Amino acid sequence: MAGTDMRAPSAYPSECARATAPGESRFRIDVPIRPARNARVIGLDERATAIAQRVAHRSWAKATFYTCQAASDAGTGDARIVLHRLDGRPVLLGEVLTGTDVVVVLATEDAGRQWAAAIGRLCGADGITTAGIVLGEDFEADDAVAALRPYARVLLLSADESDVTELLTALRV
Amino acid sequence: MLRKDINELLTQTGPGTPMGELFRQYWIPAMLAEELPENDSPPVRVKLLSERMLAFRDSEGRYGLIDEFCAHRGASLWFGRNEQAGLRCPYHGWKYDYTGQCIEVPSEADNSSFCQNVKLTAYPLVKIGDLLWTYMGDPAKQPPLPEFEFVHVPAEQTYTSKRWQQCNWMQAFEGGIDSSHVTFLHSGGLKTDPLFKGAKGNEYNMKDTKPFFEVADSEGGLFVGARRNAEEGTYYWRITPWVMPAFTMVPPRGDHPVHGHFWVPIDDENCWTYSFDYHPVRALTETERQAMIDGHGVHSKNIPGTYRPAANMDNDYLIDREAQKRGETYSGVAGIAMQDASLQESMGPIVDRSKERLVPADSGIIKARQKLRKAAVALRDEGVTPPGVDPEHHRVRSAAVVLPQAESFLDSCRDAVRATPGVPQSSV
Ligand code: FES
Ligand SMILES: [Fe+2]
Repeated sequence: MAGTDMRAPSAYPSECARATAPGESRFRIDVPIRPARNARVIGLDERATAIAQRVAHRSWAKATFYTCQAASDAGTGDARIVLHRLDGRPVLLGEVLTGTDVVVVLATEDAGRQWAAAIGRLCGADGITTAGIVLGEDFEADDAVAALRPYARVLLLSADESDVTELLTALRV
Repeated sequence: MLRKDINELLTQTGPGTPMGELFRQYWIPAMLAEELPENDSPPVRVKLLSERMLAFRDSEGRYGLIDEFCAHRGASLWFGRNEQAGLRCPYHGWKYDYTGQCIEVPSEADNSSFCQNVKLTAYPLVKIGDLLWTYMGDPAKQPPLPEFEFVHVPAEQTYTSKRWQQCNWMQAFEGGIDSSHVTFLHSGGLKTDPLFKGAKGNEYNMKDTKPFFEVADSEGGLFVGARRNAEEGTYYWRITPWVMPAFTMVPPRGDHPVHGHFWVPIDDENCWTYSFDYHPVRALTETERQAMIDGHGVHSKNIPGTYRPAANMDNDYLIDREAQKRGETYSGVAGIAMQDASLQESMGPIVDRSKERLVPADSGIIKARQKLRKAAVALRDEGVTPPGVDPEHHRVRSAAVVLPQAESFLDSCRDAVRATPGVPQSSV
C-alpha cells in the first residue's frame, strides 16, 4: 500500500492504537466550551407557554423565551407578527429572530398552526435552524406539526416536558 | 452535552450499576451459535457486562454459560476438558455440569455430598436463529425469549456476523441511530457496495445531503425518521427503529436484504457489534451471502479464526489516502463497518460527552440517551420493567418509503415498521 513503506520499521503500536489508549485522554486540550447557541424558545399555545415558563426558570446562558398568545398583527408580513416575552411585553417576530441561530418551537395542539408556519417561513428565509417539540401522547397537534414540517430541521414528536430541557441542555443554549 | 455523572451512568454496565442492571433485564446475544459448533466442542471465553464467563456445549447438546473460574482454586476452566456431560477442571479434576453445578470432586470420598454445595454462577444460554442468547438477571424475572425477526426467519434467509469493537457500547450504539452521517462517511459505499448499490433510494440519499429528522417514541424505544427531498411534492423517508436497549435497524435499500445491529457491552471499554442481514420473504442468494462473508455491507472482514476485524486500530484501519483522494472512500477506510468503527474508536475508549457540541440533527441520540437514563433510574428506584423487555416490542422493521409531503411518516408507515411474517419490507 502506498505510504506504508515510508514508515520506519517499528516495535510501537500504530498511531491509532497509541492515540486511543485509555491514558491518552488525559492529554486532551481542556478548554471550557462556551455556549454555542443563541436560542429562542417559542411556546405556540397556552399549554406550551406554561411549559416555556417552567423551563425558563432554569439557568440558561443565552436562551430567551416567548409566547404566541393574544395574537395580534402589527402589520403585513411574518416579521411584523407580535410575540410576547414571558413578562408580557410585546415584541415583533422579526426582532426576536435577529441575532439568533436556533429557534425551538413548542406545541401541544393545533391552535398555533399559523404561528408555526410564519416562524418556519421566516427562519427558513434567514437560515435559522428550527426545531419543533410536539408535546403530548395523542396527536392533538397534527396541523401544527404539518405547518412546521417543511421548516423544522428536527421534530421531536410525542415529547414530554423533560425533552425540552434535555434538548436545550444538549444544545448548550 | 451530558454531565459527567450521566455519562458514567450510561456507559458503565458492570454488576450493580444502574445501566448494568438495565441490561440484565433483557435477553442479549452472548455469542454466535457457530462458536460452539458441536457437542463437546472446546469451551469459549465469554465476557459480557464486565463478567467473565465460559460457554460450552455438553455431550448432550445442552448449552452452559458459567463462571470462568473453578470454585476450587480459581483456575480458568477454559483449559477444561469437555467430556461426558460436563466440564472438568484439568488442575484437580473438579467437574461441573451446564448449570454450573459441581458434580464431581475427585479428592472427596465417592459417596461424599460435598460437591452438592458447590455451584458456579451460571446463566441460561439458548439458541435462537444463528445466535446464542443469555439472560443475566434475576431468574425470577426472566422474560419470554426474544422475537426479533432476523432470528426467526428460516435459516436460508438470514446471516449474522460479529466483530469486536474497542470502545464503550454507547459510542457504537449511537452510530446506529445517527442517520446523518451516511451521506458523508458511507458515500463511497452507496455506489459500490454489492449489498447497497443500485437502489433508487441511494439517489435521494446522495442528492440531498441535509436531511430533516422526526423522532418519535415507540413502545420499545424510538423511531427516527430521516427525510430527504424526492420527486416534486414528495419526500424520501428512511425510518430507523431502536428497541431498547441495544437493537437498531438500518433502513433498507431496494430489494437488498435488510440489516441492523445489536450492540452488546463486553466491559466498559469494549463491545461486540452483531451485524445481521435478512430478507423477510426470500432466501439470500449465493452472491449476497458470499458478499456478507467477505465483509461487505454492514459486515466486516475478520482475522481468520477471530472476531477481530482485519482492519483495526493496530494497523490504522489500513487507511488508504489515495483511495480517499480518488473519492472511492470518504475517509480512506474501506467498508461501512470499519468506517463506523474507526471513528467511534477514535473518540477513545469512553468518550467524554461533557465536551460535545450537539446540533438539532442529533435529536435522536439526545432522546435515546434520555430514555436509557430514565429507564435505568426507574428500574433502580421503583423496579419498573423497561421498554423492550416485552417480546411484542421486538417485532419492528426499518423502512424506506417515498411519501407525499403532507403525510406524517408515523401515520403512513404503521404497517411498514411492523415485522409481519411473509410480508416483504417496504423499500425503495
Ligand atoms: S463531524 Fe461529527 S464528529 Fe466530527
Ligand atoms: Fe454508519
